[in-house]
Amino acid sequence: MVSGKKIVVDINFKELKIESVSKSFPGVQALDNVSMKISAGKVHALMGENGAGKSTLIKILAGAYSKDTGNILFDENKLNIRNPNDSLNYGIKVVYQEISLISEFSVAENIFLDNFPTNSLGVMNWNKLYKDTEELFNRVGFNLNPKSKIADLSISQQQMVEIARAVFKNASVVIMDEPTSSLTPNEIEKLFTVIKNLKQNNIAILYVTHKIDEIFKIADEVTVLRDGQHISNKLISETNEELIIKDMVGRTVNATFERPKDILNAKTVMKVNKISSKNKIKNVSFDLHEGEILGFFGLMGAGRTELAKAVFGYDKITDGQIEVNNNIYKSFNTSTMVNNGIGYITEDRKGEGIVKDMNLRENMSLPSLKIFEDLFIINQKKEKKAADEYIKKFSVKTPSSERLITLLSGGNQQKVLVSRWLIRELKIIILDEPTRGVDIGAKTEVLSLINDLAKQGLSVLLMTSEMNDLLSLSDRILVMADGKISKEFYRGKVTQEEIFKASVN
Amino acid sequence: MNNILKYLRKGELALFIIFLIVFIIFSFSSEYFFTLRNIMNVSGQLSIILIAAIGFSVLLIAGEVDISIGSLLAFVSLPLIEIMNITGSVPLGIILCLIFGIIIGLINGYLSVYLGVSSLIVTLGMLFILRGAVYLYTGQRAIPDELMSDFFFYIGNGKFMGTIPYAAIIGLVILLIFIFVMRNTSYGRKLYAVGGNQEVARLAGYNIKLLKLSAFVICSFLSSISAIILASRIGSANHVAGDLFEFQVVAAVVLGGVSLAGGIGSLTGAAIGVLILSVISNGLGLLNIDTQWQLVVNGVIIIIAVGFDELKRNR
Amino acid sequence: MKYFQTNESILFGLLVLLCIFLSFYNPQFYSIQNIHSILRSSSTVMIVAFGMTILLTSGEVDLSVGALMSFVTVIVMDVINITGSISLGLIAVFGFCLLIGLINGLVRTVLNVNSLIATLAMMLILQGSVYVYSMAAIYNTHLIPLFSFIGQGFFLNIPMPVVIMLFILPFFVVLLNYTRYGRYFSSIGSNPDAAKLSGINNNRYKVLGFVITSLLVGVSGVILASLMDTGQQGSAKGFELIVIAAVLLGGTSFMGGKGTIIGTILGILILKIIDNGIILMRIPQEFQLIVPGFILILAVYFDGIRKKNSG
Repeated sequence: MVSGKKIVVDINFKELKIESVSKSFPGVQALDNVSMKISAGKVHALMGENGAGKSTLIKILAGAYSKDTGNILFDENKLNIRNPNDSLNYGIKVVYQEISLISEFSVAENIFLDNFPTNSLGVMNWNKLYKDTEELFNRVGFNLNPKSKIADLSISQQQMVEIARAVFKNASVVIMDEPTSSLTPNEIEKLFTVIKNLKQNNIAILYVTHKIDEIFKIADEVTVLRDGQHISNKLISETNEELIIKDMVGRTVNATFERPKDILNAKTVMKVNKISSKNKIKNVSFDLHEGEILGFFGLMGAGRTELAKAVFGYDKITDGQIEVNNNIYKSFNTSTMVNNGIGYITEDRKGEGIVKDMNLRENMSLPSLKIFEDLFIINQKKEKKAADEYIKKFSVKTPSSERLITLLSGGNQQKVLVSRWLIRELKIIILDEPTRGVDIGAKTEVLSLINDLAKQGLSVLLMTSEMNDLLSLSDRILVMADGKISKEFYRGKVTQEEIFKASVN
Repeated sequence: MNNILKYLRKGELALFIIFLIVFIIFSFSSEYFFTLRNIMNVSGQLSIILIAAIGFSVLLIAGEVDISIGSLLAFVSLPLIEIMNITGSVPLGIILCLIFGIIIGLINGYLSVYLGVSSLIVTLGMLFILRGAVYLYTGQRAIPDELMSDFFFYIGNGKFMGTIPYAAIIGLVILLIFIFVMRNTSYGRKLYAVGGNQEVARLAGYNIKLLKLSAFVICSFLSSISAIILASRIGSANHVAGDLFEFQVVAAVVLGGVSLAGGIGSLTGAAIGVLILSVISNGLGLLNIDTQWQLVVNGVIIIIAVGFDELKRNR
Repeated sequence: MKYFQTNESILFGLLVLLCIFLSFYNPQFYSIQNIHSILRSSSTVMIVAFGMTILLTSGEVDLSVGALMSFVTVIVMDVINITGSISLGLIAVFGFCLLIGLINGLVRTVLNVNSLIATLAMMLILQGSVYVYSMAAIYNTHLIPLFSFIGQGFFLNIPMPVVIMLFILPFFVVLLNYTRYGRYFSSIGSNPDAAKLSGINNNRYKVLGFVITSLLVGVSGVILASLMDTGQQGSAKGFELIVIAAVLLGGTSFMGGKGTIIGTILGILILKIIDNGIILMRIPQEFQLIVPGFILILAVYFDGIRKKNSG
């Protein structure tokens, strides 16, 4: 069913050239005249904060988006990428950050998804499929059973399948999008071996990451994007960590906030006692004080989000109890927690945050409709007034409170979601990655808002993987690893290295 | 036996056991139940649902749905019987019937896949349109088969060597072909991939629209074969033929573990689902239990089977 | 004018055009009897459609409404025949409907069975058990005038079914548009995770949606029994498809999140007036099935195009 005829490509190119590529979405210039060159046999690191334009560039190369203007070439030959198929035929393979596998299929089927070994009648040659997969794994040094079902594998094993799939054959360019985000150090070493192997095969590698230490181990060259624009391009030997960070953020990130010293003496507002859940959480206990910002740090898969959801009643706890407002709960749901003055802001704004069929006002008031009620009827005037107030307070860019939420930019949607909880009386707020997907300028704004709220007496559970957010705000830091709390630190008495060590544990 | 069991996956094994239990209960309750004659009768009857259920499962696996198959059953039997009556040629009637089926599949598929209207709505509309067209054409009367060809009669009523109904053989052959296609051809695997995760399939370079369109055509095509067998059995193109047929098929297929969400399930499972519901209906009939209890029992079984499956998955 | 957002205004325009066209074609269209007959037959559909709009808005569907409605006609007739009391008949009906609604809701939420399947199974169960209950039609032997009045009577020259519908209507317009419950239903349908994370107990409102729908089926079933003067299995066969088609035509999304009672009413009126027009124009009645089928597909198609263009 592969459409059209295969384009025969001369894989012997020296450079993949990206020339003046631009792409805009309604309201956003995602890529603005970006040019770069990726050499065959070299690892080219692409860096940038969230929203810098990395994913857009990847998707254009993969044929998932079409570019507005500009050219993509192998040396002097223009590539005509109209769809994912074209891109694959040129040998451009992408390892996506989010797992994109068919979970009902075997490992081998997933690896050869775009090119099943068949006879001329289209009948699958299972022996060849498994043998080829076996061979491939031997070659790259992965240890996986080709017949295992994807759904039965761990995340890092799935990631390995992703990588193996991209490189299995005909690869001329391999793009890796945050490939190490869920790998163990041991697995990362293996991945680097694979990458070196690819280099020797004269494959061009675009390595997208935000982990700076990695690029000094593996990359030959680094390009930095910021706000859709090309900022810098340097050989790895000509640059250093500070320079790269400076290019990425455009300024030194060093906002540390003044926090009250005696906050841990304030009264306890929440006592979490040995809770466990089906989703990872094992035997977690902590106290939260009035006005305290309690930071939770952990690598991907450590269980931060799962803990937040268990505390909020989204996932059922299987063991333990939570005490809020002098009530002890063993079994509760989200409405229990909301009624106790707790709010939750998700990291997955699109998936779990906004209600796309509703306008800004309705999104904002969703958890608090009771306070706008006259008898059983919602007083829309009152509701609109509250919405307008927060639109003004957070300078949300919108013509009115009646605008459909999906027509707002990501940052503005986030402001609406924060307001969702602030319009009601709140004692505790749970923030999951509050600065994810927020552009650099707004980041500091968000952090200082959190600080202000805490100073007014709101207690904050801050789940984050951003070291900067964590260190600049938290009064206490709990580091999570594998669903458990591995270590507790206090403000000002901890280094990044110590936190990182505790999280790898 | 061991080999057979190995082929059945976990969920299918559970179903198979349900089937055996039902079978054993009825064998003890009615002496006629476990006779060759009865078993052959059941197998002939169930092939009508089985064949349509195969096509329906293929479409569900590809992530779409077609609830117009009941109306289609009545609709395509019109060209079948009319052409046979007019030309006196059975093959010509059958060919035209199948062509009509394919065209309807193409229309359903085109509207759903290429124009982007949800397939549930397209085929709900088609359900009305086809049934209305049948009523209009027939004036709400059955059109009898006036040709009375032996060949046509045998399709639904004849028995190979006097024992095995031809209909059952047709059903079995189609089942085996499609089990093979879905399991062992790249086309089948691609349908699973498209239904399982459309975005991944798109990035793998599949022509999703064409794949889905083909699944719509398979579904309509196989339903048309069911229509031919049905028309042969009842000896006419009946305006109320296939009433509630879509619901029977959905029930059997879902009972067999094919997911409405797409990408999950197998034809073996679907076939066992058909088998269970047909055997229950036959057994209850033999026990002289009001035939209407069958509906109740079917409904309860579906809730229990699907509910149990969900509970297990959430554990 | 808030109601007449794009979709409703198009439906309304279509409705007006239909009326103008039909009145030119056949002046009988505007006769009192004809209008009464259109409104009367629309009312039973509308009453159930109010519930279905809520269900579809919250991302669920109920296929068992037709089978339940047939069952209701049998129960109400039988119980009143035996007891001679309308109140007991109504109590039996609403008790039964409450039970069925609860079962549908609990199978959906506790067993987590997709509502399409859960209510399909319920449809089979009801269809079978109504036969078991009574194979034959149950005729009105109690001859209580008040019972006949429910379906056949007039109040201020308006048919009673319409009066009942108009009595129920405001509750649902207000419920869906002006109360928090309406917002809850639509957020649950649009983004269940976001709703849950806003402290809404999704399952409770889903069960509520099923119960409301079943109770409304009870109302329509009683009206139908009174209109036919019999209780009969199969009397509301295929009713679920007509209700769902009308609600979808009205602009409520099958994917949940967007529901409008006014749209639903317009959708039903359009379908019923087409029905009526087909009779008035002496077109073969079979077109009563064909035309709505086309309209449904076209309406959803154009809705999709409009959405694409607007964003």
